[in-house]
Amino acid sequence: MISRRGLESVTAALTGAFGLAVAVSSVENGVSWTSSGVEAGTFPFATGLIIVAASAYNLAHAGVLRGSRARAIGWGDLKKLAALFLPALALVAAIPILGMHVASAVYIFAVLVPQHHVSVGRALVMSVVTAVALYVLFDWAFQVSLPRGLLGAALGF
Amino acid sequence: MENLEALLHGFTIALSWHHLALMVVGVLLGILVGVLPGLGAPNGVSLLLPLTFGMQPVSAIILLSSMYWGALFGGSVTSILFNIPGEPSSVATTFDGYPMARDGKPSTALATAFGSAAFGALVGVVLITVLASWVAQAALAFGPPEYFAVYFLAFASFIGMGGTYPMKTLVSLAVGFAIAAIGIDTVSGTVRLNFGVDELVKGVSFVVAVMGLFGIGELLIAVEEEVHAKAVSSKVEWGEVFRTVARLPRHWVTLLRSAAVGCWMGITPGGPTAASFMSYGLAKRFSRHKENFGKGEPDGIIAPETADHSAGTSALLPMLSLGIPGSATAAVMMGGLMIWGLNPGPTLFIEQKDFVWGLIASMYLGNIVAVILVLLTVPIFAALMRVPFFIIAPLIFIVCVVGAYSVSNSFLDVMLMMGFGIVGYLFKKLDYPIAPLVLAIVIGDKAEDAFRQSMLMSKGSMGIFFSNWLVATLVTLGVVLLVLPLVMQLMGKRSRKPALAE
Repeated sequence: MISRRGLESVTAALTGAFGLAVAVSSVENGVSWTSSGVEAGTFPFATGLIIVAASAYNLAHAGVLRGSRARAIGWGDLKKLAALFLPALALVAAIPILGMHVASAVYIFAVLVPQHHVSVGRALVMSVVTAVALYVLFDWAFQVSLPRGLLGAALGF
Repeated sequence: MENLEALLHGFTIALSWHHLALMVVGVLLGILVGVLPGLGAPNGVSLLLPLTFGMQPVSAIILLSSMYWGALFGGSVTSILFNIPGEPSSVATTFDGYPMARDGKPSTALATAFGSAAFGALVGVVLITVLASWVAQAALAFGPPEYFAVYFLAFASFIGMGGTYPMKTLVSLAVGFAIAAIGIDTVSGTVRLNFGVDELVKGVSFVVAVMGLFGIGELLIAVEEEVHAKAVSSKVEWGEVFRTVARLPRHWVTLLRSAAVGCWMGITPGGPTAASFMSYGLAKRFSRHKENFGKGEPDGIIAPETADHSAGTSALLPMLSLGIPGSATAAVMMGGLMIWGLNPGPTLFIEQKDFVWGLIASMYLGNIVAVILVLLTVPIFAALMRVPFFIIAPLIFIVCVVGAYSVSNSFLDVMLMMGFGIVGYLFKKLDYPIAPLVLAIVIGDKAEDAFRQSMLMSKGSMGIFFSNWLVATLVTLGVVLLVLPLVMQLMGKRSRKPALAE
């Protein structure tokens, strides 16, 4: 589905773009020598150029590496990756609304029941245990206050 | 002699109930993250970091370093019993450890691994005890140019010895530097590289990067490879354990060679993973039973385990005495040191004697605690591996999210972490090394400062990097290491051409 070569090229293009952004953004900070020393942008500017150059090399060599024709990610892999990553992304998006504790509980429940056919009862127990464990470990034991979200604010928690 | 006295003093600090309890907790947590496929020593240690802010620095470092030892041991347990390396550095242990365990000798395999691991760690700690204060003393005379030269050498050796794709190492390293530059420039006070996002002014914490790169990235790789835990029996027979350990000295050549490889790779930032592979390769080349390798040869377990642990331990030597971490985990610990208000580097040996020697003494004790605990808990952690991955994965996700958030109570950090997760996945998939990236985030600022201070001293002349024999040697060595892969590649191309034609 996605070949090693394709993945190599995309990654090299991404790192190259990052390097370019770093170099361009550093120009604002000044990239030369003044009487008060090396200007703030010089080091990042050079770093950006190095990234661009090395990425260009990697891009050019993406096709000649060993096994570059081989498939790197198949359909099945992509599905598994999405099944793991998308719910996690939803969890992150839900934190400002539901707060850390509730969002985690919902996340655990939503991953276990439809995807992996864990029984509703067991999944419920696991979600509640997760939320309580987070509260006990972080909010209570180590005094790290986890975000409550809009829901928490509405409930006054 | 002075070192011995200092060490004894260190023992009086490390040997308290409070610290022993921290060692036990640290080692157990370490074995846990070592055993779980998505978590490793670097992100395990960064997860604990926010929880140590209220502690005494000595107690905090004992907790974190014990976790490191535990993770190193825990990684071997899953390698041997399940053929699943819990840590990248224990991949080489699967080659012979799993076959031996599968052939009905799990106790022998585990005991061989732990015995040689303990030996490797011991060599590393002795090295630190003997050398660290000496190196620190030498480094006290360092000015900014010398410091920059040492940093340069460290980065150059990553590229020169870091593996198959020097250009990928370079990208990884440079991206780390760029990330380190984000935020307020310490010299001029101007804001750099915030790309219009106000919150980025505070910079990007290495903890967030580690959590994403190692934690999320590792999970994404693991789900693709579908971890199937098929355990061999995980019962430990104590008699066999003692017999195996008693047999270990017969392999003294492998033990010593592997420890030497490990120490070298640990001090120069080659890291434990490279060390274990290199040591395995050497053991195979020099062995008289080459054909047994891969089928459960004891030397094939001893070599990677000894090197892994001696590299992991000696990686703390440059961190303590020079302020340059030798591995990703050491980089995270060094970040911790800076957060606790300590200044890693030679002055530590003068201003924070208790801290340094307490830590070194705790390394002796921590490894003993680790060997005992890992043997006692093998059945428990082996049972943990039978919990299906689809239950463990979301839990690890939550742990990483909470960990990234708790660094500075910032939601942006959580989003950055997810981004780093994708980068980590791509980099792992395509053999970009991740350790240089983390290292550069932690010490990038210091390297830059050293460079700019040197330039101020010399009024903009590069000649300052050749102004005395020490700097000149370091810089030249660095340049040689940088050019080495290029030369090798050119020579390799010439000899490989015919092979490609087939």
